[in-house]
Amino acid sequence: MIEADLQLSKSDFKLDANFSVPGRGVTAVFGPSGCGKTTLLRVIAGLEPEATGSLSVNSEQWLDASARRPVEQRRVGVVFQNSSLFPHLTVQENLLYGRQRLRKVTKPIEINQLIASLEIEKLLLRYPGALSGGEKQRVALGRALLAEPKLLLMDEPLSALDRSSREKLMLLLEKFLQEIDIPVFYVTHSSEEVARLADNLVLLANGAVTDHGFIQDVLGAVDGELSRSDTAFSVIEGKIATKQLPGLISVDCGAGIVLQLPDSTAISGIRYHSGSGVRLRIRARDVSLCLEQPQRSSILNILPAVIAQLSAEPYNGSRVVKLDMAGKQLLSKISEYSVQQLGLQEGQPVFAQIKSAALI
Amino acid sequence: MLSQPDIAALIITLKLAGTTTLILLLLGTPLAWWLATTRSRARSSIEAVIALPLVLPPTVLGFYLLLAFSPDGPIGVTTAALGLPSMAFSFWGLVLGSAIYSLPFVVQPLQNSFAGLGRMPLEVAATLGAGPLDRFISVVLPLSKMGYLTAAVLGFAHTLGEFGVVLMIGGNIPGETQVLSIAIYDHVEALEYSQAHWLAAGLLLCSFLVLLMVYSANRRFHLMKTI
Repeated sequence: MIEADLQLSKSDFKLDANFSVPGRGVTAVFGPSGCGKTTLLRVIAGLEPEATGSLSVNSEQWLDASARRPVEQRRVGVVFQNSSLFPHLTVQENLLYGRQRLRKVTKPIEINQLIASLEIEKLLLRYPGALSGGEKQRVALGRALLAEPKLLLMDEPLSALDRSSREKLMLLLEKFLQEIDIPVFYVTHSSEEVARLADNLVLLANGAVTDHGFIQDVLGAVDGELSRSDTAFSVIEGKIATKQLPGLISVDCGAGIVLQLPDSTAISGIRYHSGSGVRLRIRARDVSLCLEQPQRSSILNILPAVIAQLSAEPYNGSRVVKLDMAGKQLLSKISEYSVQQLGLQEGQPVFAQIKSAALI
Repeated sequence: MLSQPDIAALIITLKLAGTTTLILLLLGTPLAWWLATTRSRARSSIEAVIALPLVLPPTVLGFYLLLAFSPDGPIGVTTAALGLPSMAFSFWGLVLGSAIYSLPFVVQPLQNSFAGLGRMPLEVAATLGAGPLDRFISVVLPLSKMGYLTAAVLGFAHTLGEFGVVLMIGGNIPGETQVLSIAIYDHVEALEYSQAHWLAAGLLLCSFLVLLMVYSANRRFHLMKTI
């Protein structure tokens, strides 16, 4: 477990974060710009000496009323937003900087294997000034991991990259972060990154944690801060189906649910193999409800579902509806007028029309 | 060309500038680091005190040092109590005077260089397990190379050209406290213009070459801001 109750007051900003998340897997720290995500990460790393409260990471006490463990003894790996490589050291020297400072190497990581999987073998003798943004971030990740951290912190590691290197690093992270057995905190304001990477979610707004827990629980909180925002979305896991329709990609989500998406692989260049696991991100505002099954519609995905929960009150004229689709959770954002007009109630069977879904 | 006393003056000058620069780099490092990183309110006052020699006539500094060195002055009393010879009209008196006089030329480039690093490299080093001293040696020093070069050269060159302070506290003892600038003054007073030329032109050329070295190195490292 990672349990945090952290406070920090600055002249123009106050952080008061109280949450606990499992001590493994990827925890996304999600919120709008300026909500204190980076500050929270810095407090966890120990880079804000004025922070008070308590913090324990897998039963190691890093901060409490009586003691504060200094940064260099916390063993946190940090990947910053911008390149943080030492300009006076080569890539290889950068990679080994933290590892050389370990008292003893407990996990004999295959260094060469790590370097190969980060695709940085050819860069070892170069200086950081000669690397691209994506290369720098891969080296920074390798450097953090080689120091055998007990917690890996990533502060919007993709935000300074251009689109194509972002996508490349993202694919690498998806594979990587699931394989390493240390907990990861991943700060982002991108719902796509959350949907692709996160197992747990900590929501931040104005320096305070508004919700935290397993991603499906936090996303599905219909009265939560996230559901109220424009970014409300659901994540559904599935596999690329063996049977495909022309021009479409079919995703089998189990329990008889098959979602169809327009085949955009010609543009993205990504190839999907049948049977490989994928995640779909579906925005709540792209899901509408019908009481009867529509016929002859251009909408590809119309699926039977049951209303599991309605948000208690309308917010900005809208209500968030949590649907149960054969055990899968799906959010829909519709107007309060429609809720009244259709007489929607919890437990009622409906048809969900999914206008678009992103394969991520 | 150069007479025996002129060569002695040259050697004393180089010894004085070298010693002063070395002492200033050692003492200036922690001072500049503190100035670059502290949030203390005392910072501005300390910075102003360090910058004083930039604007003060050297004779003012020399005058107060002379008073301090006198048997009743605080430094004079201290040296007497420790059984040491008086600092006035001695080489070590000159070193102390030069160190104060050249302090801003060493501290300011170092301070700018340290401040220019930002907190990022140090924070990264800390997360990778480096303690404070380790961070300074493995990150700050190598990244501040240009700052140190600038500080050393400016401190050295500025001490070479010192006149007023030396005149006030060093006197003019050949082979002991007579430095180049004073020797030049003596030659001119005695109307020995050709000897004065040798020393003056030598000093001019030497100072120019030293500064040229710093500026071209700075240009190469794109670190003009450290001056």
